[in-house]
Amino acid sequence: MKYSYIKPRKKTPFTQEVQLAITFFSITVIMLASTYLFLLYKDYNFQKDKNRILARQIELKQEIADMKQKIAFVQKQESLGEKIYTQNSVLKDSIENLFDLVPQRITLSEAKLLKNGLILYGITPNKDVYNFMLQAPLRSIFQETYSSFYPAKNGWLHFVSTNYMKDDFSEEVENED
Amino acid sequence: MLGKIFESLYVKVFVNIVVKRFSTVVYIETDGKKGLQRSAEEEFEVLELDEKMHDLITAFTKESPYNYVSVLDMSQSQGAVPTCKKNRIEYYTDVEDIEFRCHNNAWAYYTARENLTSIRKKYAAIGVDYIFSPFSILSYFFKDKIDGTLAMYILVQESFLSLAIFENSQLLYAHHLDMMKKEDFDGIHLEDDENDGDLLLGEDDAIDLDDISLDDTEPGELEDFANIEDLDSIEDINEFSENQDIEEELMESTDTLEEADETQFNEDYQRFTLIQGSVGEFYKDPRYESRFVENVYVADAVGVTKEFKKYLEEEMFFNVYVRRTDLALEVCELAKEETGV
Repeated sequence: MKYSYIKPRKKTPFTQEVQLAITFFSITVIMLASTYLFLLYKDYNFQKDKNRILARQIELKQEIADMKQKIAFVQKQESLGEKIYTQNSVLKDSIENLFDLVPQRITLSEAKLLKNGLILYGITPNKDVYNFMLQAPLRSIFQETYSSFYPAKNGWLHFVSTNYMKDDFSEEVENED
Repeated sequence: MLGKIFESLYVKVFVNIVVKRFSTVVYIETDGKKGLQRSAEEEFEVLELDEKMHDLITAFTKESPYNYVSVLDMSQSQGAVPTCKKNRIEYYTDVEDIEFRCHNNAWAYYTARENLTSIRKKYAAIGVDYIFSPFSILSYFFKDKIDGTLAMYILVQESFLSLAIFENSQLLYAHHLDMMKKEDFDGIHLEDDENDGDLLLGEDDAIDLDDISLDDTEPGELEDFANIEDLDSIEDINEFSENQDIEEELMESTDTLEEADETQFNEDYQRFTLIQGSVGEFYKDPRYESRFVENVYVADAVGVTKEFKKYLEEEMFFNVYVRRTDLALEVCELAKEETGV
């Protein structure tokens, strides 16, 4: 202040028009920045969800593979069970048939089922009853039949009947058929 | 830094207001990087800020936030004193109610606080940035002269005279004279009743200063010039020529001074008497260091007549040099200087 009595008013380039323009641009920039940040956030969220879903997908695939393995195992178990059931049914029928073969006058005390044979322990009133009523049907079934007797205290005979089926017998029969 | 960058992008608008006796002059200048871009000057037949003036000013000021409104202080209660020290200023005027500014740590100009308040209030609608004293204008206008030998400098306005005596840039005496103020005008040192009567300046009894000669004058009438009694002879007067400002004389064109019509004559005579009174006060008042004034430089903002110059030269033995000036332009220059353009 060299000459004037008073100081000049403070001058600012930010006139009302400039302030309005700055406000407008500021709002625009803030809105753009907000939108950009929002999109960044959404993108981050989408990426996060995507990764989570991919991880879940891998997890589910793994679970599916495990499940398939379990199903296969169960299926094997089922088929095995069915096989066993069938075999048991066959065995049951065989045993029933076996017991049907035994006449009422002969009493069995023990029966051993072998893979390709049958060993019967019992008591018979005499050899003839055994030979005609039990050995005959056994011989029709087994290729080799051996019988041994020893007397019981009451005068009856204990017997041991050992019957074998040749391994290739069934194959031969089938081949012949 | 940022402010400077912004400032360089805008033009600067200088609005300069000079209140005359019956009108107000508004001079507006727009300055860009390459100097003056646009200027306009208009005179309004009002003394207050009216709608037209307001519209003109706002039309320019809205162009740039860097606009500066300057007003020349035309109030009566102002002046200048040959000191900057507050306790010394008290010696010349009451410091309680004034606002003063020191110039070059050598002298000060002052105005009443109420004047500043009044100007601010008057132009509150547009705001005021600078209020200049006529003495600032005077010293700035004659800055090439005031650092020289002792001389009197007068700023002639329509209603006021700002008179200052400088020697080597040091103010010796200053007086702000109001032509409308009765006391100032009554203070003229034409002490006899006959001369007072001549102030009526009728057609028949108009004063003719050419008829007044030193021989006819009573010794008492020249008591104000007691220190220059020994200069009464022609030989002594010739010594004045040694101190004449030849350069200024060459620059001055007296042809531009108008012949006086009756109104101008009256006003110029009134000015002459006011100056005469002030010079007398300077010589007599013990507060001022009385030195003999030889050269008078007039900054003429109204168009003084040849008679005015003649009175000063013939009646007071001054070497008078008149420079025409446009006050509004000078205020603008000062505002630019103040702003640092």
